[in-house]
Formats: sequence, structure tokens, C-alpha cells
Amino acid sequence: MSTIAPQFRLSRFIGSLFDLIFWVILIFSLVGLPIVFIVLFYIKLPVINGQLMTPYLAMTWMADPSRTLPIVKNFMHTTIFRVMAFPGFGFAALLAAATIFVERKFLAKMQLRVGPLYCGKIEGILQLMGDGFKLMSKEIIIPAKADKPIFWMGPLLFVGAAGAFVSLIPVAPGWVVANPNVGLLAVFAVIGFFPIIAVLTAWAANSKWTFIGGLRALHQMVAFEIPLILSLLGVVILSGSLNLSQIVESQEHFWWIAFLPIGAIVFFITILAELERVPFDLPEAESEIVAGWLTEFSGMMYGLIQLGTYLKLYAFAGLFTVLFLGGWNGPMVWPPFPQDIITQGITIGPVTAKFPGLPLFDQEMLNGTLWFVIKTVGVILLILLPRGVFPRVRIDMILHTGWYKLIGLAFINIFIALGLLYAGVLGPGGLLH
Amino acid sequence: MVDSVFLALSVLTIGSAIVALEIRSLIYGSIALMLTLSGVAGFFLLLDAPFVAMFQLSVYVGSIAVLILFTVMLVRRELIFNKVEDKRRRYAGIGLMVVLMLGIGTIIIGSGLKTMDTNSAAVDYKKIGEDFLTYYSPALIVMALILASSIVGAMTLARREDVIDDQRAD
Repeated sequence: MSTIAPQFRLSRFIGSLFDLIFWVILIFSLVGLPIVFIVLFYIKLPVINGQLMTPYLAMTWMADPSRTLPIVKNFMHTTIFRVMAFPGFGFAALLAAATIFVERKFLAKMQLRVGPLYCGKIEGILQLMGDGFKLMSKEIIIPAKADKPIFWMGPLLFVGAAGAFVSLIPVAPGWVVANPNVGLLAVFAVIGFFPIIAVLTAWAANSKWTFIGGLRALHQMVAFEIPLILSLLGVVILSGSLNLSQIVESQEHFWWIAFLPIGAIVFFITILAELERVPFDLPEAESEIVAGWLTEFSGMMYGLIQLGTYLKLYAFAGLFTVLFLGGWNGPMVWPPFPQDIITQGITIGPVTAKFPGLPLFDQEMLNGTLWFVIKTVGVILLILLPRGVFPRVRIDMILHTGWYKLIGLAFINIFIALGLLYAGVLGPGGLLH
Repeated sequence: MVDSVFLALSVLTIGSAIVALEIRSLIYGSIALMLTLSGVAGFFLLLDAPFVAMFQLSVYVGSIAVLILFTVMLVRRELIFNKVEDKRRRYAGIGLMVVLMLGIGTIIIGSGLKTMDTNSAAVDYKKIGEDFLTYYSPALIVMALILASSIVGAMTLARREDVIDDQRAD
């Protein structure tokens, strides 16, 4: 019988454990604590419940778990939480991951693929993790004659631009990372960066497949940007604002899709083209030009591009919801937080636990998020649907559609909006307002 | 805070402008040009004019830089550029720039910029739009006519009668 450690002595093992604990405590108190205090000296500490948050107070609160809720709640209203977790990156990445998962299962169901339906025994729940590990463990290969700086920057810039797009989407009343007065213009500015990134990385890879794909991406995105911008002008005319939160608030009674269905359809088609999804997936047409402008990416660089693509998908679906489907507006279905817990605490047998600082989120925000997520998921499913159904369109037909038909339809949409405004039906001071 | 941002933006804008002129690779030159234009957008943001800044980004970086990239990638270099380089041209260019900047600078400084109130609230872009449609409407109409005629002219120039598209099915 082979032993794992033949020289093993229990006493030495315990001794080494004590040794370790001793050194950790010594180094922490001699080096760690001074560093903590020096850092805290320069940081402006928040005031919670009328008390300045000093390190000792924080440690006291940490010792008593029921008192940590105010700290958590305070943290939730900081910018860093918004950027990292709720309306920002974490939330969007979660929805993006769910989208990838649902898309894989959806297509697997259609084509009877085994992995997404079976992997991990329960409904293929481990398939995404498997994909992720596969990408991370793969080697990143850079073509020998590639232009390395641009090639490396490409995926990072792509994720960055998609993240900037996500940060502009309001999820619930007051819950948005960035809320500029010209939010819709900021969206247009961010969308303009994607074709540049695509064509630059395509050029940098120094391969004919990527270059053909990149040029196709450039043609397609530039051609569809114009109807995209024009189709949204109707909404701006009717709501009288460029701020996305105010546009949502203006749809309290009516969704704009009821008055501007043509604009909504044009916007949806341009979404499909901007996202390079079937039937407009020419830039990465895998049966013609390998994988288009993504051909030379491997390992986690490809993973980053995929992450960016799905973040962009979420952001576009969210934008559709915000502009045409009323954003977070919906009937109040979320139950109010029980008052007993706030006033009396939770009683389990003889123990009564009080949680100051509850509820963490107010009812409106939870209700708004629920409606926003329901609508956005619906739009995402509509975007995914054509992939299983439609064939790919030829490039000249795409350009023809974009430059002639969609721009014409977008102008008709603008005239409808202007007609509604000048007839006094909608808009500031209109009949229905 | 604003001062350091202003300094950083200035260094970025001017530095990438110099790079855009001096670098050998045309692609990197156009990337540097994009950085310059983005830096100008940053100046507009500092000046409390986010509307102009966003248009600067979406028009200049999103469209004009893309156009330049397109041209650089699709046209062979010898066809659009012939190199004429000598010292005298460079110095003449620098001299011309200095004269221009001095002239414009004296005009700007003499125009009452120094007495401007820097703490007043930013002008709302809706107000600018109202002014455009009422008091300055002749200027707006002239601009619209110029743009429309240039678009019509571009389409006329780009139209080719001799190409027959036999692939088209419709």
C-alpha cells in the first residue's frame, strides 16, 4: 500500500499550524493594520445611521451580523455597486449568460443536440461552465504577421464599448449607472465605435477571411446605423426628451409602440443587423468565410468577443424595451415588504432577531426590475428566434434594404410622429397626456 | 480636478495630432486622428456641452474616421499620396500655423472672452434649438440647402451608367 506522505507526524503538523497562525497574526498586526489605517486616512468615510464609519465601528458591526445590513445597504447606493453589480456589469453579464444558455438549449432542442440538454444531469446546467473552461484553457494564438497591439486591443475595446452601452440602460426608477441628459445621443456615439473595432481587428489579423468579414461588418453596420438613428427620432419627438429615464417616464400611460409600430419594426431589423445575427450574419458567415472577422481569435480573446456580443445583445434589447415597450412601467405586482419584520423582527421559537435597515430595496424598484426583465427577456427571445429559422441574406440585398427601404420607412415613422404632435394628440399639452 | 483633466486631454489631443501627422503607418495615423477627435469631444464635455460632445463622437469618430479607414484600407497608397517632403515645406507649415494661431488667438482674446462669467449654468440644448428655429432660421435653411445640394452632387458623381448589375434578381 502506498502512502501519500510517509514522513507524516501529527504533532509536527499541528505545530506547523500554530506556527502559521502566529505568523499571520504577527504580520497582520504589524503590517496589515497600519496599512489599513493609512489607507483609511485618505478615504472619505461614509456616515451610516448618523455615525461616522470608522474602522472600529465597522469591526464592531461585523461581529454582530444583524447590524451589518446598514453597511450593505449603504454600499448598494454607491457608484461602484451600480457599475459592478446591479444595473451595471454583473446584472448585464448574468442576463447575457442566461441568454447564451437559453440560446444553446433552444437550438439544441430544435436540432436534437445532446450537450446543452444533458451536460450536468439537470437540464444541461453545466454546459456554459464547460464552454467557459474550454475557452480559458485554450492557448491564445496570434498570427505571425498580425499587427499585435491592435489585435490585442480589439477584444478589450469591444467589451469596453459594450459595457459603456450597458451602463446607459435604465433598469428601474433611479437605477442606472450613467444618466446623462443626452442619453440617446450617447447611445448613438457608442454604437458608432463597433464598426471601427471590427474593421481594425479584422485588418490587424492579416488574414483574408477576417478582412473580408471586417469589410462586410463595416458596410453593414454603417448602412444600418442611419435607419437606426432615424427610427428613434419619432420617440424623441413624442416624448420631448433625449434622457432615457425621462423617455420611460413619458410612457406611463401608453407605450410608444402603440403609436409608432413602423419605427419599432425598423429598429428591430436594424438591431438584428447591428448584432450580426441571422439573417444578417454575413460578417461571420461560417459556411463562406470561416468565421468572418472573428476567424483568428482563439481562447479567451474569442471569449471576450463573445461576452461583448452578448452584452451588446442585452443592451439593444434593453434599449428596445426602454424606447418602445415602456421600460419599467407595469402594474404593481410585487408584494410590499411585511411591516412586522421591520417593527418586531423575526421570531423563531424563543429567539427574536431584529434586522435594522430592512427592506434592502423598495417595492417600486423590485417591481420595475421585474417588468423590465420580463420585457427584455421577451425581446431577447425574439432576437434569438430567427437564428433557427432564416437563411442568410446576400450582401447587396442587405445594403439595398438598409439604404432604400428602411430609411424610407423611418421617414414615414417620423412623419407619423410629427402628425400626432401637430394634431395635438400626443406630446407636451396633447389630448392624451 | 478639472485642471488635471484639462491638462491630460490637451496632452492627448495635441500629442495624438502630432502622431497622426508624423507616423509612417497610415492605419496608426488614422487611429491617432480618432484619438484627437475624441479628445476634442472631451473638451466639449468639460465645457458643459454634452450635446456637442456626443455629436462630435458619433459624427467625427463614428463616421468620418470610418470613412478615412475605409479609404486607407481599400485604396493603394501610391494612388492617393505622392510624397513631397523637404525641410522648407515643413518650416513653412509650422510658420503658417503659428501665424494663424496668433491671429485667431488675438481675435478670441479681444472678443470679450475674459469678461465671461465661468460660473453660470450651462445653456440647455433645447434653448439653442429654439433659437435655431426662430431667430437664426435663415442660417438653418441655408445650411440645409448646402447639405442637400452636396448630397445630390455626391450621388450624381457616384452614379455610373456603364455598370450593368446582372447578379441582381429583382
